[in-house]
Amino acid sequence: MTNVSEDIVQSPQVTTRFGWSRFGWARSTLARFGGVTLAVLIVGTYFSVRTSGQLLIGSNLETIVRGLSTIAIMGFGLTAVIIAAEIDLSFAAVYGLSTNIVAVLWLTHGWSVYLAILVAVVAAIVVGLFNAFFTAVVKIPSFIATLGSSTLVFGLTLWVGQTQNLSYQYPPTGAKVSKGDVNFFTHLGSAGLPGGFPEQGLWTAGLLLLFWFLFSRTLFGFRLKAIGGSRAAAEVVRLPVKKYVFLAFVLCALTACVAGLLDFSFVGTASPQDGQAYLFPVFAAVIIGGASLAGGKGGAIGTVTGALLLAVLNNGFALIAAGPFAQQIFLGTVTVGAVVIDRVTSRQRR
Amino acid sequence: MTDAAASGVSIRALHKRYGDTVALNGLDLHARPGEILGVAGPNGAGKSTMVKILAGEVGWDEGAILVDGQPWSDDYGSNRVAVVHQEPQLFPNLTVAENIIAGYEDTGWRWPKPGDRHHELFEELDVFRFRNRLLGELGLAVQQRTEITRALTREARVMLFDEPNSALTPEESAEFFRLARRLADAGHVVMLISHRLTELAAHSDRVAIIVDGRCVRTLEGPERTAENIAEALVRGLGEASAAGSDSRRGAVSSDAHGLELVDVADHAGVFPAIDLAAPRAMITALVGVEGSGAREIVRACGGLRRVRGQILVNGKEVRPGRLPARVAYVAADRAQSLFSNLSVGENLVIRLDREISRGVLGLRSVRMRKIAEELRTNFQVKSDGIDIGIRSLSGGNQQKVAIAAAVGRRPDVLVLEEPTRGVDISSKAEIYEILRRFVADGGTVLLFCTEIPEIYEVADRLHVVSGGRLSQPLEVATFADMEALAKGVAALETHGAALHAVPSA
Repeated sequence: MTNVSEDIVQSPQVTTRFGWSRFGWARSTLARFGGVTLAVLIVGTYFSVRTSGQLLIGSNLETIVRGLSTIAIMGFGLTAVIIAAEIDLSFAAVYGLSTNIVAVLWLTHGWSVYLAILVAVVAAIVVGLFNAFFTAVVKIPSFIATLGSSTLVFGLTLWVGQTQNLSYQYPPTGAKVSKGDVNFFTHLGSAGLPGGFPEQGLWTAGLLLLFWFLFSRTLFGFRLKAIGGSRAAAEVVRLPVKKYVFLAFVLCALTACVAGLLDFSFVGTASPQDGQAYLFPVFAAVIIGGASLAGGKGGAIGTVTGALLLAVLNNGFALIAAGPFAQQIFLGTVTVGAVVIDRVTSRQRR
Repeated sequence: MTDAAASGVSIRALHKRYGDTVALNGLDLHARPGEILGVAGPNGAGKSTMVKILAGEVGWDEGAILVDGQPWSDDYGSNRVAVVHQEPQLFPNLTVAENIIAGYEDTGWRWPKPGDRHHELFEELDVFRFRNRLLGELGLAVQQRTEITRALTREARVMLFDEPNSALTPEESAEFFRLARRLADAGHVVMLISHRLTELAAHSDRVAIIVDGRCVRTLEGPERTAENIAEALVRGLGEASAAGSDSRRGAVSSDAHGLELVDVADHAGVFPAIDLAAPRAMITALVGVEGSGAREIVRACGGLRRVRGQILVNGKEVRPGRLPARVAYVAADRAQSLFSNLSVGENLVIRLDREISRGVLGLRSVRMRKIAEELRTNFQVKSDGIDIGIRSLSGGNQQKVAIAAAVGRRPDVLVLEEPTRGVDISSKAEIYEILRRFVADGGTVLLFCTEIPEIYEVADRLHVVSGGRLSQPLEVATFADMEALAKGVAALETHGAALHAVPSA
């Protein structure tokens, strides 16, 4: 009896069908070490050498941390959606909506910045609820629901922002902006900390901790993973699928709002085009970080590592002035490569 | 009534319709605690509808279900009745232990951990060593035991096994049946739905025969042999169809083989090297339960499975890649043989190329319509013209479209998988007529079939497949009646299973 069961476990067809077993050692090393971590180390070493150490000097590390923060923060929310086997294309638009709501209410209409932020947060939640409603209740594929809401939200942003750039350091003439508000907003994301550590990095660290806890230590994380792993089985066990899909989409919209406001605080200006460029990098970071578009797989640490890889690549190519083409080509290669590695390491799971 | 009737599962006069189709037509069934109740029935008899109703996936129209004397309700029933599916409904990305507690975590907001009572059950069902492994990495047998464990954790009283061992090895199957017996001895109600008559006979205490949505007979004690079950099944069916045309008997038996397999072995190892010859102007049937390899052999002939060996069509070898040009294949599942987004006419001509176009761009739409109209008339497809959507046709007419599209390309060989599954009686007769006409014109038909009456009615010869091996050909005309044929096939299946269960060195 015992022997029989052991045989089942080591089902020979699975490992030898495509000849991957020959690379078994490589696969297990990669799986344990994490292909992304390995990639970060290789890429980091390469650029450190190419730039004779410039990559690692303090002020440059600051740039890298800032670069990874925006992507990672949005990535955490997107990870929640992707674990639940859904997709969200609207977070980049939510990012832009948030910065423009705050900029217009605060700078153009003279509201208090706190109230403006509250409105932006509520708007983000509404977009999340919208996405979840059409996905979980109306049962439209989330790709289509969020493709629609993305365009819709971008339209709202253009309307709210009146296609102008607003800066809180140089507010429009006639605007009454209190010093205290400016001070608060500046300190939200652009204050330097001791040792020159960027404040956005602190936010990222805090959110990393929060989402790591959420994904891997709570019932929420457990059930989210189960729901993403098999919707059919989740229905059989009567897990609260709808509620979780709602939570995931709201989380995703909220993180986009947070990322947008932190960037606004650091950059100083808001424009209606904000966020549009982040759609693909955030997806790339989450996928490189090990989340599966099929659902049921993904985590906060993976996502932050994926974001780190993108930030290092971005920064390294800028430093060696390789031209934008090199960066794009490399990013494309890395994204496909990461998924291929993932398939190889998880071949057994099929 | 008595206490015996109060405990267990009582299904009384259950009716269920899907549109025009009657799935259950007054089903009466009683499963007692402490016994294994086998359930047998042909495809479409209503077994899976019964399972779905008991699992709470669909409702029913009339009748009653009592579980331990209490009426079944969504809350009460779904916790008491556990269905162990053919393909376990589990989370492949969670560990075995996590699978068992999902939905019943009891840990507040925290990531759940299995408790002591879970560990006991893990030991009992021999999944303890796998508890921390990802379920998706484990074999089907362990997945199945995980599903059983999950049912036991929530104190399910009724275990419904739907084709539980169709994908298990003989050793795993034996292990499974020991477990099923243990569950019954512990006072559970165990229902076992299976196509494998030998196993039903060997492992259940009573066998209920379901035909056309009703329980036609229950076999008990020494009566429950594979042969008796087979006989009861065809007798039930015979009453339903009562057709039996003998026009084909004594058909021209020719020596020329339309389709020949020489030393053909499945690439994935489902069947070892086999030889098969299907003569021209004849209908040859392969009979075998799920997992026997019969379906796979037929699919291989249609060019749908990777195989090694030689395949000859009308005496000439055909490379596997060229098979579709000579052999037309019709899948059992109409989702695989028809295009639901196309019209009846488009479906009829979808397999043609040069007949309906000049080059890649010159689609000849007038010609297309003409051919489609011809095929529709010739194959007696009942529809309002050729422009209506294929989905508006009945199952039987859809199947006629699928077969007409295949025959319309004038192949040498026609290969069909369960050609009349889910088809009404009158369409059945017309489909048999189509096949008969095709062979009368010198074509060759090979079909995979699970229903004895169908074989009796349409096939000229048959092979029984078990354990991936073919029996000697049997001439249908040599059997006196349907029951004799059923007994003969059941005997060969049992015999074959015994022969091949332990492959000799």
